[in-house]
Amino acid sequence: MNYIFQFNVVWDHLPELLQGALLTIQLSATAMVLGLCVAVVCAYGKSAGPRPVRWLVAAYIELIRNTPFLVQIFIFYFSLPVIGIRLTANTAALVAMTVNLGAYASEIVRAGIEAIPHGQVEAARALGLKRLHIFRFIIIFPALKTVYPALASQFILLMLSSSVVSTISAVELTAITNSLASTTFRSFEFYFVATGLYLAMALGFRAGLSAIYWAVFQHGRAA
Amino acid sequence: MGRSFGTAEFLFLLRAIPSTLLLSIGALAGGGIVGLLIAILRITPSRPLRWLATGYIGLFQGTPVLMQLFVTYYGLAVLFKIQVDAWPAVLLAFSLYSGAFLGEIWRGSIEAIPRAQWEAAECLSLSFPKQLWYVILPQAGRISIPPTVGFAVQLIKNTSIAAIIGFVELTRAGQLMTNATFEPMIVYPIVAALYFILCWLLSLLAQTLERRIDAALGIKQNF
Amino acid sequence: MKIGLRLVILAMLVAMPATLVAPPVRAESTLDKILKEKKIRVAIDVGNPPFGILDKEGQPDGSDVAVARQMAKDMGVELEFVQVPSTGRIPALLAGRADVTIASISVTTDRAKTVMYCNPNGALQIVIFGPRRVAINTPADLVGKRIGITRATLEEATVPKMAPQGTNIVWFDDISATIQAMLSGQVDAVAMTSFAGKTVADGNPDKQIETKLPVTTAFYGPIVRPGDFELRQWINTWLFLNNQNGTLASLYKKYTGLDLPPLPVF
Repeated sequence: MNYIFQFNVVWDHLPELLQGALLTIQLSATAMVLGLCVAVVCAYGKSAGPRPVRWLVAAYIELIRNTPFLVQIFIFYFSLPVIGIRLTANTAALVAMTVNLGAYASEIVRAGIEAIPHGQVEAARALGLKRLHIFRFIIIFPALKTVYPALASQFILLMLSSSVVSTISAVELTAITNSLASTTFRSFEFYFVATGLYLAMALGFRAGLSAIYWAVFQHGRAA
Repeated sequence: MGRSFGTAEFLFLLRAIPSTLLLSIGALAGGGIVGLLIAILRITPSRPLRWLATGYIGLFQGTPVLMQLFVTYYGLAVLFKIQVDAWPAVLLAFSLYSGAFLGEIWRGSIEAIPRAQWEAAECLSLSFPKQLWYVILPQAGRISIPPTVGFAVQLIKNTSIAAIIGFVELTRAGQLMTNATFEPMIVYPIVAALYFILCWLLSLLAQTLERRIDAALGIKQNF
Repeated sequence: MKIGLRLVILAMLVAMPATLVAPPVRAESTLDKILKEKKIRVAIDVGNPPFGILDKEGQPDGSDVAVARQMAKDMGVELEFVQVPSTGRIPALLAGRADVTIASISVTTDRAKTVMYCNPNGALQIVIFGPRRVAINTPADLVGKRIGITRATLEEATVPKMAPQGTNIVWFDDISATIQAMLSGQVDAVAMTSFAGKTVADGNPDKQIETKLPVTTAFYGPIVRPGDFELRQWINTWLFLNNQNGTLASLYKKYTGLDLPPLPVF
């Protein structure tokens, strides 16, 4: 059985694929920012909060970490409307990605927070710093700096997992690739090129995150 | 159609669990062989071989699992003119994917073995392969058990992605039952609960193993 | 012995022309392979009522599934189902995972570029349908509404052409997701076969699903890979015979409740 590769069909549709890649980047970047906020709040809550808060956060983390992302987005998109909460596809995707990242990232951030020597906090209190300032400068900033590589890896994983939101009709690179593949019947060629685009985005995100690290944590500071 | 969710439907979900587990175990076995190869390639003195292994890992860690699945599923028959069914294609895709991650985990474990062990083995005039087999790998194997089991949990969740190409495992069974009963608010949370049971038990196992091995290696615990 | 030797030479002289007119050896076709291995692999879509569904025991059933079973029985070979989602019906065939796909593939010229159609074995109608509260009476009413369609289907090819600018078309990977989207209110209406619509409407009387707009009518038929002429010819012969003896009509009516319209042939 002969199969004639027709990659020229893919090149004809390259603008649409790039549009899809842009949508993936936008969706992932937004989820990263929101997810990081959730993670910081949860990490602080689990390490320093009252017991009910600690238990609640732990339950949230265990629930997300032990269920597949695909099932999570199905629940957000298909199940919630039954009880009256109707999210559009892209909103459901964003919410699911934020909730998902929040759970994984909060454990990473918590590890960073707990690595801060307690002496630092005590010294800061002795110097009369306000609680919020202590949190911002003594705890979170050094913690994020320490766990940044692990966070960056988690962010990239999030961007890659965004490909399954196509199943709930959210529009991003995989959804557009699916539509093109099914109308031109050139499935293999399209998926091959889309995989390459994801790889390029992963490398791009890694470079971008490294640049952010340099700008936030190293530029103009003592080592 | 439109029947209510009852015992028969729940049993249909349960009957899909063996597929999920079988796929995970098969991917771990296949990926184990690949991973071992990759880990060893990563520590060989030969630079091209190291780059090959690094490239392989980068490819599978930098692309979505869904894309890897599509490319394998549609590409295998097209590229190599082999006619494969869903099972071999999915198993192959997940094995290659597992191989990349397991390779990284095991390389980390190998590199955690103190240099002194290598030197001692060399002093006993063992060749490189024999050093690996008799001295390094047994020790690295013990260290690698907790992260490997952790990856197994990830793998079980990732098998849900096979549902997207129609492979019947737990998530696809959930989709089919939702279609038959039109009750997503019942079906998907139950599917999530079933995954939770599988993964959480495995995670507990991983934590217990980690504690035992930490104690054996004399590492102070932070609990 | 002299006579024996002459007989042998005579026999050889007679046999020689015979070898020259022996029929040339034909390359093995897919049909030959199926008959030799005594197994035919048929791609089906069990998420596509009533052509392909899963019954209470989780076994494939439906009008096209029944046709496949009868066909394999008449061919005298074992039947192996290759379950695919809607987007996999053609790729599975082209990749060699199945020998024929019997999954209500409507006849379109685009598809005919990559696959070979056998004669049609049924007809379907694509309609837009939705809950009663959604008002869609003319194509113009579609503007601003979210219409769910399934990828790799006839509706994917036809609805975007008849829907006016401003319609929000939403794509799903398989029919069950599209149905779920409508039932959960994530889309205002969906486009799919009238049969699927009827199944959904009957299964959800409280939602009051009704047909809004017809989109197109089409015949569907089994498809084979380009070049599998022998298999196509066998299937066409089988379809001809079973159309004549009413088998196709009775299977169609059993699952769709409708009479089979007169089937055209290519």
